[in-house]
Amino acid sequence: MTATIAPVRRTVHSRAFRLRRLRSSILFWVTLGLFLLFAVFPVYWMFITAFKQVNDLYNLSNNPLFFNLAPTLDQVRYLFEQTRYLTWVLNTAEVGLIVVTITVLICVPAAYALARTRFPGSGSLGIGIFLTYLVPPTLLFLPLSQLVVGLGLIDTRWALALVYPTFTIPFCTWLLMGFFKGVPREITEAARVDGCSRLGAMFRIVLPISIPGILTVVIFSFTLAMQEFVYALTFVSSSDEKTVTLGVVTDLVRGDVFFWGSLMAGALIVSIPVAIVYNFFMDTFVRGITGGALK
Amino acid sequence: MTEIARERSLGYHRLGRWLGHLLDGERVFGYTLVAPAVLYILLLVGYPFAIALWFTVSDATVSQPIGPFTGLTNLQFVLNDDIFRRALLNTFVFTISSQILQMVLGTILAFLLLRPFRGKRIIRALVMFPFTIPVAIGAMAWTWMFNPTYSVINHLAADLGLISSPGAGPNWLGEENYAMISIIVVNVWRNLPFSAIILTAGISSVPQEIIEAASLDGASFLTRWRKIMVPIIAPILYIALLFSLVFTFTDMTVVWLLTKGNPVNATHVLASYAFVTGIISGGLGRGATISLFLFPVLLIGALVMLRTLKSRSLD
Repeated sequence: MTATIAPVRRTVHSRAFRLRRLRSSILFWVTLGLFLLFAVFPVYWMFITAFKQVNDLYNLSNNPLFFNLAPTLDQVRYLFEQTRYLTWVLNTAEVGLIVVTITVLICVPAAYALARTRFPGSGSLGIGIFLTYLVPPTLLFLPLSQLVVGLGLIDTRWALALVYPTFTIPFCTWLLMGFFKGVPREITEAARVDGCSRLGAMFRIVLPISIPGILTVVIFSFTLAMQEFVYALTFVSSSDEKTVTLGVVTDLVRGDVFFWGSLMAGALIVSIPVAIVYNFFMDTFVRGITGGALK
Repeated sequence: MTEIARERSLGYHRLGRWLGHLLDGERVFGYTLVAPAVLYILLLVGYPFAIALWFTVSDATVSQPIGPFTGLTNLQFVLNDDIFRRALLNTFVFTISSQILQMVLGTILAFLLLRPFRGKRIIRALVMFPFTIPVAIGAMAWTWMFNPTYSVINHLAADLGLISSPGAGPNWLGEENYAMISIIVVNVWRNLPFSAIILTAGISSVPQEIIEAASLDGASFLTRWRKIMVPIIAPILYIALLFSLVFTFTDMTVVWLLTKGNPVNATHVLASYAFVTGIISGGLGRGATISLFLFPVLLIGALVMLRTLKSRSLD
């Protein structure tokens, strides 16, 4: 561990030192390798399951880790042709777009006000909105299911579009507050002196600079909506109304022997884009979660 | 006619200017812009929470959501329910063991990721994978790995000679203790990257000079970790711990997809049992009562978070 801090020296080291360094390097790679194996193996297993021939997959005498027969696209074809996978993808896109729209329309002004104006209670309101992010679906799903019944939205994807902003709004407001706070006050003050209204300063000056922040919010609210499981399971039971995550894990599970391949194919197709996007935004995500506790 | 029209348009113009002027006041501007967010949260978080509280003291069912007031009957029923007690215990067992494993392994992983090495970006991305894919999907992949007949884990164990044949391995999701272990493993798998990444961010924010000074003074690695780094990164540790505590404590996704609370209701957590009672069996009152046991932990979480945030903003 000392190696993290030791400055690089260009000196000739003793044999004992080199040996010690070699040992620590081996230990490092072995430990990292174990973590890597733990993290990646289930994904590898998804991948190999999705592309194996049925006779290969369910033959217990075959080595499960490799393709014993040629890989096949049968499972993927089955997924698209024989299941409602495409419907679920479209549903997810619809729900996601509505959630993104609601979230942006509500978060941008709220975050702007909380970050750049001072009014009585603004601090507590900001913290209050953040804390609602802690309220889990499993505390609210029973009353919300009744609310959704009352609105006539039960068993439709619109129920999800209505409810998902309850967790995207708190998270995204907090995230955007950070972006808006980063815009120097002097810029808006100068505009104000020149006769620009508060609203004008927001639209003409701060928002254009904060486009990366708003894009981040768009992406987070979309992927959060795409991943959600508990509300979806609670509100939606018709196959035609399901989102992709719910559909894959509930509808493809049948007594049928042939389903694991297409299930894993469906799972992979959802996961890969989300994983890539999240990877790019991981640091922003961490900043959002820790609420700027770090600089 | 034109006079009146002009008069009227002038009136609207004045009204618009007056509104614009009003909106330009700092307070009015602030409150107006925050109002939609507050309203949304009040209507879809606050109001349902109030209904949940009402459910707990009434005999609400799916067929009769506005049931008669029954006082503490639900609470009594729930407290005497063996499955509920087991679920409560399980929730704590799952949460605490996952948290400990996550924190210990997360710290090790964080230090590994802080070292410079070749291919770091790609390795970091791969290690993060479990956290970046949807929870439900990850849980499903594990369900398949734990499959009683085709478990790849048992298959590999047999190949390595640890067990005589794949069939001799444990039925991971079918036996109580193995099912509990499986759920914990999946939880740790899922949340480990989150702990690691937050710890990495925290540790790299500690000024190098302090650490170097301490190590020159002869402080060992553990001393440096305990006495210097932990106090500095404490606020972020709190927040990370809190989030993962609350999310693990209240989650039902992993349990639901792995075992649905089985075998014979032995692996339920509060959330999954509330789901079964409230949604599947339609007992809204009892279900809400079970859910409400999640609230104290949330409250403590929120209070600790509040204190951390306040102390930060005072700096």
